[in-house]
Amino acid sequence: MLELKNIHKYYNPGTINEMCLFENFNLKIEDGQFVSVVGSNGSGKTSMLNLICGSIPLDSGSVVIDGKDIAKEKEFKRNQYIGRVFQNPAMGTCPSMTIAENMALADNKGKIYGLRLGKNKLRMDYYRENLRQLGLGLEDKMDVKVGVLSGGQRQAMALLMSTMTPIRFLILDEHTAALDPKTADLIMELTDKVVKEKKLTTIMVTHNLRYAVEYGDRLLMLHQGKAVMDCAGKEKESVQIEQILGKFNEISIECGN
Amino acid sequence: MKKRVLAVVLGMSMMAAMLTGCGGKGDSSSASGSGEKTYTIGISQFAEHGSLDNCREGFIEGLKEEGLEEGKNLKIVVNNADADPGTAAQIADGFVNDKVDLICAIATPSAQAAYNAAMETDIPVIYTAVTNPIAAELANDDKSPVGNVSGTSDELPVEAQLKMIREILPDAKTIGILYTTSEANSVYSIEQYEKLAEDYGFTIEKAGITNTSEIQLAATDLLGKVDCLTNLTDNTVVSALPTVLGLANEKGIPVFGSEIEQVRIGCLAAEGIEYTQLGKDTGKMAAKVLKGEAKASEMNYELITESSLYVNEKVAENLGITVPDTMKERAVETFTEITE
Amino acid sequence: MDFLVSVLEQGLIYGIMALGVYITYKILDFPDLSVDGTFPLGAAITAAMIKMGVNPYLTLLIAFAVGLCAGACTGLIHVKFKVRDLLSGIIMMTGLYTVNLYIAGTNNVPLFSSETIFRNEMLKKMFGETVPKWLDIVIILIIVLICKILLDLYMKTQSGYLLRAVGDNDVIVTSLAKDKGNVKILGLAISNGLVALSGCVFAQQSKVFDISMGTGALVIGLASVIIGLSFFKKMSFVKTTTAVIVGSIFYKLCVALALKFAGATATKLITAILFLVILIVSVDRKRKVKVNA
Repeated sequence: MLELKNIHKYYNPGTINEMCLFENFNLKIEDGQFVSVVGSNGSGKTSMLNLICGSIPLDSGSVVIDGKDIAKEKEFKRNQYIGRVFQNPAMGTCPSMTIAENMALADNKGKIYGLRLGKNKLRMDYYRENLRQLGLGLEDKMDVKVGVLSGGQRQAMALLMSTMTPIRFLILDEHTAALDPKTADLIMELTDKVVKEKKLTTIMVTHNLRYAVEYGDRLLMLHQGKAVMDCAGKEKESVQIEQILGKFNEISIECGN
Repeated sequence: MKKRVLAVVLGMSMMAAMLTGCGGKGDSSSASGSGEKTYTIGISQFAEHGSLDNCREGFIEGLKEEGLEEGKNLKIVVNNADADPGTAAQIADGFVNDKVDLICAIATPSAQAAYNAAMETDIPVIYTAVTNPIAAELANDDKSPVGNVSGTSDELPVEAQLKMIREILPDAKTIGILYTTSEANSVYSIEQYEKLAEDYGFTIEKAGITNTSEIQLAATDLLGKVDCLTNLTDNTVVSALPTVLGLANEKGIPVFGSEIEQVRIGCLAAEGIEYTQLGKDTGKMAAKVLKGEAKASEMNYELITESSLYVNEKVAENLGITVPDTMKERAVETFTEITE
Repeated sequence: MDFLVSVLEQGLIYGIMALGVYITYKILDFPDLSVDGTFPLGAAITAAMIKMGVNPYLTLLIAFAVGLCAGACTGLIHVKFKVRDLLSGIIMMTGLYTVNLYIAGTNNVPLFSSETIFRNEMLKKMFGETVPKWLDIVIILIIVLICKILLDLYMKTQSGYLLRAVGDNDVIVTSLAKDKGNVKILGLAISNGLVALSGCVFAQQSKVFDISMGTGALVIGLASVIIGLSFFKKMSFVKTTTAVIVGSIFYKLCVALALKFAGATATKLITAILFLVILIVSVDRKRKVKVNA
């Protein structure tokens, strides 16, 4: 179980640009939940992910996983049990390394990167099998540099790589936003498949309301650092896009624009 | 395509530059008198530097005085290492590969590179402007050469300098010296001063620095303890000499130099080395070796036979010091103004 | 022939340094100025140890280890104290100048009368009193090959993968639950180890340590890496490490040609023009290949 407790986060504290993002923010995510997070720009979606992953420091509060506060733990240490896919497909792979090398790199996560050969021949078939499931023909391009692949192919690989080793949480940071609609659909389907297969606790930030409604079993709408909408289970299943849009408009009117 | 054309044009212009560069030398070798042997000398100069340039010019002049003239019976190839020991090594290798008759190396790193490259050949190496050939392992402790290598040292005429200071300042007791701890030549010169100072009734007060920025502090401190300053050929200190002179003038303390340039810019006087003369001496050594009259492997390295006195009368006037007339007569050059 | 041999000798010795610069500049994307300090550091430690009577072959390992430490220091300054990359290099370079003088004792240490990896009792026993000149290039070649092969092998290990990843996309290293700072420190250490080793071999070959030998070392290394990589860019069968070493040989060839033909004053200009021609020609070929494809 992942818990955010009494989170406080200010940007530019002490300056004229001081901006309060989270004030006493609380969130609880049960194991196995697939949470879709929506919200306008600046609502704190990505900041929330960054706080969970440790990419930005907390001002106060705690991030608790299974009763253990990890707020002081460094980002790279937290990544032992967190997998993350970024909006930019280039961030999840190494462009100048081959597909096989990238897979091998990801396969070793959580272990020591020592002086053993990076590419384990025995694992190659396993990598190929994994890649085949993407249905993009990458399994035949094992020695091709990832840099020459398309954004969609890279993002598919990034998804595969971040879920290759056992992880507790999958963090998806607008991971379909930079892709064309068709590729985005494909990646989204893959995501759903992986999440279901590996029973991963997932937090997905998205601007695509359709995905937010279609996928996941909980929906969270953030606005100015607060959850203005949070529904799960049956309630979530009945949510329609129109409802969310309505909520969006409501918020905007409140803000005066 | 355009780029390739450009590249070819550049390449061609470079070739042209090479050809004109060699052309001059080619002519000189073909102009040699019939029957007489034409010698080729490779000059490896470590860096572009006033004293070293004077050395080189003096060297060529010295050869000429011995009847070896560029364009007649002598071909000279000059390379400059631009202060990089790696390049100095390549220059030396190049001369050895071209089988020159003699390598002339100017300054310590070039001399060491030349000796190293020529070690297993019969090409003699003649060096100059090497302050301490013994420490550079180019000569044994008894000044005899370690191999087919000999030359001249630009060791400061410390004794002459001390004598001169005593003559100008009969009552002075302490001489201050600023030097850079990293410059082996300076450390060596200091040792010489400390060894000889007592004979002339002086004590030496030294102040070591590591870079230019420390000079102001070190000089101010030193000037409080001494009757006069004397300068070495220390590169760092020399480059900041105007600062030192300014501070010394405020306190009316005379500063003695070590070469002509230092006297020109405001040192009172110097018993210095004439680098052109040093080069000439070296050129004559080289001529002997080329003509077969002597072997580099059998010649001890030489110091300059006589130091040259330089006096700046304007500085003396400012300080209210009278320079004895005998010295004025002896001086190779007397300045009547300070060039800044 | 002799001309080429001496170019090869110099090029190969500096090629070891170029391998080191390749790691920082190309793999880590880190302009590491400490090279100007670690090249003479390797030479200084070698000169000091040889004067103390240490086996010259052992100095190769020690110089590498000392360079490793110096590189790690640059990394620590950069990673732990968050000093900018260029500045951490400058700090190390400046500090090492004094350290080098301290280690060597003076600014110029000749090794003419000392044993080196090229001239020693062991070789004299094997080859007779005058050790043949061709042995120099053989010894250098062996050292360079060992460095190149070990580096190639290392780049294929898990640790090597991580090193390549950190320069490529450091986000992924964090994603892999590894501290990217530590990986950078490791890379800088290996790089400067090689640079110091190069200084060690150079000092023994030229039989002298001189404090001025570090000046501009990084520039030579960078030029070698860039020339090598751009020249062999489209030849995928040439390993980058080989390309870098060949780049270093090209560099020394340019200098040698300029020295041979340009006379005393125009050396640097002619060297620069030669580089430019090499770079333009290699860029041109790249384009042609693309058009054909």
